[in-house]
Amino acid sequence: METRLPTGVKDFLPVKAAKLDYLQNTLRSIYHSWGFRPVAPAILEDLSVLELGLGTDLREKTFRFDDRQTGRLVAFPPDITPQVARIAATRMRDMPLPFRLCYNGRVLRHTEQQLGKDRQIYQSGVELIGLSGPEADAEMIAMAVMCLQAVGASGFTIDIGQVEFLRGVLDDLPLDAAQSRDVRTAIAAKDISGLQQKLKGLPLTDRQRDELLALPRLYGGHETLDQARQVITNPASQKALDNLERILKVLTVYGIEEHITLDLGEMRGFDYHSGLIFQGFLSGFGQAVCAGGRYDGLTERYGFAAPATGFAFNLYNLLFALDRVLDERAEEGTDILLFSSGQDKAPAQHLAAVLRSQGYSVARDIIERDQAASLDYARRMHYRYLLVIEPAEEEMILIRTADGENTCVTSAAIGSGQFRI
Amino acid sequence: MIDYLTFALPKGRIMQDSMDLFARIGITCPEMDDPGRKLVFENHDDKLRFMAVRAQDVPTYVEHGCADIGVVGKDTLLEQDRDLYEPLDLQFGYCRLVVAEPKELCQDDDPAGWSNIRVATKYPNVTEKFFAAKGVQVEIIKLYGSIELSPLVGLAERIVDLVSTGGTMRENGLVEVETIAEVTSRLIVNRASLKTKHRRISRLIEELEKVIEDGPRISG
Repeated sequence: METRLPTGVKDFLPVKAAKLDYLQNTLRSIYHSWGFRPVAPAILEDLSVLELGLGTDLREKTFRFDDRQTGRLVAFPPDITPQVARIAATRMRDMPLPFRLCYNGRVLRHTEQQLGKDRQIYQSGVELIGLSGPEADAEMIAMAVMCLQAVGASGFTIDIGQVEFLRGVLDDLPLDAAQSRDVRTAIAAKDISGLQQKLKGLPLTDRQRDELLALPRLYGGHETLDQARQVITNPASQKALDNLERILKVLTVYGIEEHITLDLGEMRGFDYHSGLIFQGFLSGFGQAVCAGGRYDGLTERYGFAAPATGFAFNLYNLLFALDRVLDERAEEGTDILLFSSGQDKAPAQHLAAVLRSQGYSVARDIIERDQAASLDYARRMHYRYLLVIEPAEEEMILIRTADGENTCVTSAAIGSGQFRI
Repeated sequence: MIDYLTFALPKGRIMQDSMDLFARIGITCPEMDDPGRKLVFENHDDKLRFMAVRAQDVPTYVEHGCADIGVVGKDTLLEQDRDLYEPLDLQFGYCRLVVAEPKELCQDDDPAGWSNIRVATKYPNVTEKFFAAKGVQVEIIKLYGSIELSPLVGLAERIVDLVSTGGTMRENGLVEVETIAEVTSRLIVNRASLKTKHRRISRLIEELEKVIEDGPRISG
């Protein structure tokens, strides 16, 4: 029987799934500690509604279906932020702002196949709706840093860019669509020689040319801001730099400035981004593990204008980047497998119930087999102990699966709560 | 492990040229002097690692972060369209990606009049994009080598291929009719590496930029 999965999607077996659970729960607890409350958006939307919040970048990647009941096209969301924006703008519009909302859920995106890229993406993120200003943006970055610390990441950086800074340089250039696309592509790749070639013969002023050519090298630490101030002199970009400066000041108060790098030539936000954008990178892992930014115009597309900012983790990327770290952190497996050789299983069932009420995770080995086979099963399926009950014996043997070490315990000791493993 | 800076280099001539260039900014790997069949070379003192891979695979290793930095021809980058940074033109490995056809066909051929043509190439994506931009419908025949052969045996009337001197094409009776791109070797960098190792990598880029501007060193 052919049971292959389509490319770009994955199943996760218990060991990995437990790590995903750990990530999800740890992130959720950080969101909660900053006052964020969960929302759970629908898994399908009318394409026409969903598309209000999507730019061409995400529209092209959306999975669409026929709705047999209505004959309309429905879509599986490629991103949750537009959904939360819709919920905030419609269902929650009469509640007092700001909204601090968090979510996790799977999205689907069409991607080029054969490049080992996921089509199924598991997002966990937050949206802060109704606040403008640097403190709100700094809150997003600080939360992302705290999340990464909480899940055990070390050697990570949150890389910050600014959409309005780029617009100050790129908008109003006398370029046609194709020229503009070429120039943007070269800047996104930090390809200076390609950019020089593209700019040859274009009707640009010296200032415009200098500013464009400076963009691919404007990345690094805080010194990048000063470098940018010297070469990028248009008022819109300068204003964006002031904004970044204020955000960095708040981050210094939070004590996390060491984790921050800047990339003022970064063009990889989504269409809806409007101000600060950022991505989180772990050293040794090739792709971003989280991404976010300000999106002041998005809720307005659903009829309710509000400034907003947010970010989301790509949980699969985070899982693969932290796989080894999570070996120790993600508690996977069960405390006790209860084995009983006698005909009467009632004592074992009773004991299991008592242990569970004391907070242990306990499973009964219901299969009829001998003790050695039961121990082997316990080992392979990640049980920490095998507890062996013999008929009519007060003493039981507790075997540690890791090394086979035996201890004797009595049901009296367990019943009185003196039992500890 | 994490402190290492890892390079993916294409086996052969470009690897040698790259190491010669890197040597001028003090990046060396004595272990490479006696390569044998090894594919990974390390310089423990300077925490550098070099991997010898196929040219077409260099962008893959770098995009996935198995290597921080790579050297690869612009032709491969154009063909593969990966999400990478390519901050430096290393200015060696110069050649051109061209459209060529048999001399006889060329005599009364006008590229402006092409509407539906058959092209053999190692570069299907570049070819498709190039002709699509001109509004020419193209049937692409993907080959892995000896592209010049295909017009001679009637597999395709034209080819898209890389030329350096043009010798092979001339000998096979082919003439260049259009240049698609000028190609040189590029330094490519993984996106996460540029952020998480930015001090080391941006210093490397600056130093390389300087020695490249100074022009090639006249040796011996």
